[in-house]
Amino acid sequence: MVPLSAYLAVAACLFSIGIVGLFLNRKNVLIILMCIELILLSVNINLAAFSHFLQDISGQIFIFFVLTVAASEVAVGLAILVAYYRNRRSINVDDINTLQG
Amino acid sequence: MLNSTELLAIPALPLIASLVVGLFGWALKEKLSHTITSASVILSALLSAHVFTQVLGGASFYGNFWTWMLSDTFVVPVGMMIDQLTVIMMLTVTVVSSCVHIYTIGYMHGDPGYSRFFSYISGFTFSMLVLVMGNNFFTLFFGWEAVGLVSYLLIGFWFKRESANFAAMKAFIVNRVGDFGFLVGVLAIWYYFGSFDYRDVFAQVPALVAQGDSLHFLGWEMSAITFICLSLFVGAMGKSGQVPLHVWLPDSMEGPTPISALIHAATMVTAGVFMVARCSPMFEYSETALAAVVFVGAVTAWMCATIGLVQTDIKRVIAYSTCSQLGYMFVACGVSAYSAAIFHLMTHAYFKALLFLAAGSVIHAVMAEQDLRKMGQLRKAMPVTYITMLIAALALSGVPPFAGFWSKDLIIEAVGAREMGLVGDFAYFAVLSAVFMTAFYTFRMFFLTFHNSDRVAAKTKPHVHESPKVITIPLMILAVGALLTGAWGVMGLDIANPEIANGYFGSSLFVLDAHNPLMTLAEEGEHGWYHFVFTAPFWLAISGIGLAYAMYFRETDMPAKLAAASKPVYTFILNKWYWDELYAKTVMYPAQGLGRWLWQKGDLAMIDKGLIHGGIVGGVLAGMNRMRAMQTGYVYHYAFAMIIGVFATLTYLVLKG
Amino acid sequence: MLELGFFYMFAGLAVISALAVVLSRNSVHAVMSLILCFFNAAGLFFLLDAEFIGIILILVYVGAVMVLFMFVVMLLEVNFVSVREGMLKYLPVGGVIALILFAEIVAAASSGVFSPDGIPDPGHVAQQLNNTVEIGKMLYTKYLLGFEIAAIVLLVALVGAIVLTLRVRTDVRYQNISKQVNVNPADRMHKVKM
Repeated sequence: MVPLSAYLAVAACLFSIGIVGLFLNRKNVLIILMCIELILLSVNINLAAFSHFLQDISGQIFIFFVLTVAASEVAVGLAILVAYYRNRRSINVDDINTLQG
Repeated sequence: MLNSTELLAIPALPLIASLVVGLFGWALKEKLSHTITSASVILSALLSAHVFTQVLGGASFYGNFWTWMLSDTFVVPVGMMIDQLTVIMMLTVTVVSSCVHIYTIGYMHGDPGYSRFFSYISGFTFSMLVLVMGNNFFTLFFGWEAVGLVSYLLIGFWFKRESANFAAMKAFIVNRVGDFGFLVGVLAIWYYFGSFDYRDVFAQVPALVAQGDSLHFLGWEMSAITFICLSLFVGAMGKSGQVPLHVWLPDSMEGPTPISALIHAATMVTAGVFMVARCSPMFEYSETALAAVVFVGAVTAWMCATIGLVQTDIKRVIAYSTCSQLGYMFVACGVSAYSAAIFHLMTHAYFKALLFLAAGSVIHAVMAEQDLRKMGQLRKAMPVTYITMLIAALALSGVPPFAGFWSKDLIIEAVGAREMGLVGDFAYFAVLSAVFMTAFYTFRMFFLTFHNSDRVAAKTKPHVHESPKVITIPLMILAVGALLTGAWGVMGLDIANPEIANGYFGSSLFVLDAHNPLMTLAEEGEHGWYHFVFTAPFWLAISGIGLAYAMYFRETDMPAKLAAASKPVYTFILNKWYWDELYAKTVMYPAQGLGRWLWQKGDLAMIDKGLIHGGIVGGVLAGMNRMRAMQTGYVYHYAFAMIIGVFATLTYLVLKG
Repeated sequence: MLELGFFYMFAGLAVISALAVVLSRNSVHAVMSLILCFFNAAGLFFLLDAEFIGIILILVYVGAVMVLFMFVVMLLEVNFVSVREGMLKYLPVGGVIALILFAEIVAAASSGVFSPDGIPDPGHVAQQLNNTVEIGKMLYTKYLLGFEIAAIVLLVALVGAIVLTLRVRTDVRYQNISKQVNVNPADRMHKVKM
């Protein structure tokens, strides 16, 4: 049987890859959004694993909520991206620093 | 017992009128403004007269209405004490105030601050009534400060004039010195007696004296009662313009003339005298304080009389006369002739108010000219003013049967009768010589105004006319007062009774038998007004008037010659004994210098530049720049920060186990 | 044994496709890799007896969200060459941080708390129950409020996305239907007297 820690290790792997992706990308906001999706997915795997091993269906309900929020985030994020691209003709992360102090 | 509603109405009416006119004066017509205030003050005067008759019938009132402040044992009630001393003050204040209100209708007509002025004088009437009617030292203090405030407002009434603002400030600051002393006295009373109530305090005085408490003040050991009395007297000196705190009173003439009459002659400045008389049960037990009162009063009476001799401003002559007469009252208090002091206070209120109002009438006629050298021969143009002012001048000089004679001669005789050593001799000399000077400067002013040569400026001449009825009627009312109050006081009220308790004042004044100079007089068989005609003061007054007649009735070169002959003395007096210069050098300039130094070095250099701009603002700016640099605006930097946070938390949790 | 084999397959493919998402030069490839990653994650969900969630992940996430991603990628004219430049420059920092994080998480996961002794393997007892029914029971009873809030979040995101992307172009002429319908003859026609 597959132990719990194996699932957690997979989730950790995906999480770390997501983090690396955040740092590597200085040119494309799209990739950053995808990396966030990856991080959220790793959390979902964790939730599902615990749900299974603790025999508690609530974990899956939380996956459901996480998916909902993630979908909303993607929708709004992509909308912002499109609006931004329309104005600046670029989605370069280094160009997005209007909030600089 | 007196009706407490009626008593409350007496101060409340002017207060309400003052508030209504003060707050809504912008919306009221001139007519409505003066109707509300004058009506309320006249009503208040009628009620006071009613109370007066009741008190004459033996009624009195003592009681608290509300609690003003309460903190553990520190209780300050609001209450009233109505006795013979109070009612005579109430009557004087409200009657003079009513006359001044009516007079003001004519005098201030057309002034942009018309309703404001009425609000102030009604407010003043309220404050003064609180001052005299209260039954404890704190209501006295409240009234004391309130009249000071109104006085400030009214001196600076024409606030566009720099000199008026300066005079108002001067009055306020000089009064502050006095009021500080007064407050010290009031708090000392609380410290020693645990009460502010007149009755409680006065009842405990003999016990405190017997106990012999003493304290060290500025290296000078004095008994507690002396300390209290001297502190209170410092307040009286400030309020009543006694040397060395007299400098504000002549300058207060910057205010409109009705104010000079009401506040700076008839009522407010006499508050000090009233207070000393009210505290007679305390002053009686302190020889030192009495001697101080006599000395200060005598110096003021004499010095201000000399200054009055040479002043050329009609209002200033009267102002110095006021100082001088207040000096008389204090001398009377000091020699324990409190009844004579209050008697003189009352008669003085009428004739000095009359003198001021008549002077105001003259000033009104010659288009706001106050210089005596630019008047003359006005008697034909303004007969009513001429006659009323003559009455006032005779009353002030102490010529029988006018009011001033009765009270002033009583004081002088009392001073002569009381044995007080050197101070007493000096005081007797001062008041006697001041009688001569008073008569002289009063008639000098009078002749220069109404006789002598016609020196009115050409363009003013067509304007010279008798004042309207609204101005002359108050003059006539006050003239009746200046004529009759003296005789009425002695014969009607029995004010001059040497047995205080049997006379008008009954138990409202307290005099130790050993001190009572009137008693001494009575024992020597010199009591009785007819005696006074053949004594020195009468002849001094007559000779003063005679000298003034010789020098000023017609235009002569005597004044100029005299001035030239005694040039150093003349300049010294003309410059008011250099008091203002003395204060400027010793107090004003150092204070201004210190203020400027603190402003430039302390405030601007140290606090503003050093602490605020250098320290706080500089620190915030530097910190802000650093914080700003942290906000790069790049998404990955924020993500990095978040991950560092996650990392730190995780590490902490892992290490914790 | 079979289960373990499937686990390794799904897990391995998920990790590899995730790496591809991060490292691929082409955004389109990245999206495709992400889709593959989601498929594999769904497989992991199946192994964990979470069938409903797995199906949802494929249908909704891959079917809708990833397609949206694809749309946007294709909509924007991204210069793919420049997109990836400077990547190696940041690899050390990012890599080190990610490695440490990974090490810590794995250390935590295998610290013994989550071992079979700590949490025993329940086996596949859940297969006897209908997973969808169980989720439905929980979702519409205990988590009803959360469910409704999620619905509102979705609605707000929907409206927000529309508001953000909507634009009225001034350089293009549009038909104004209501104006056309409401037009009066008098507005268009003038009778001219000859």
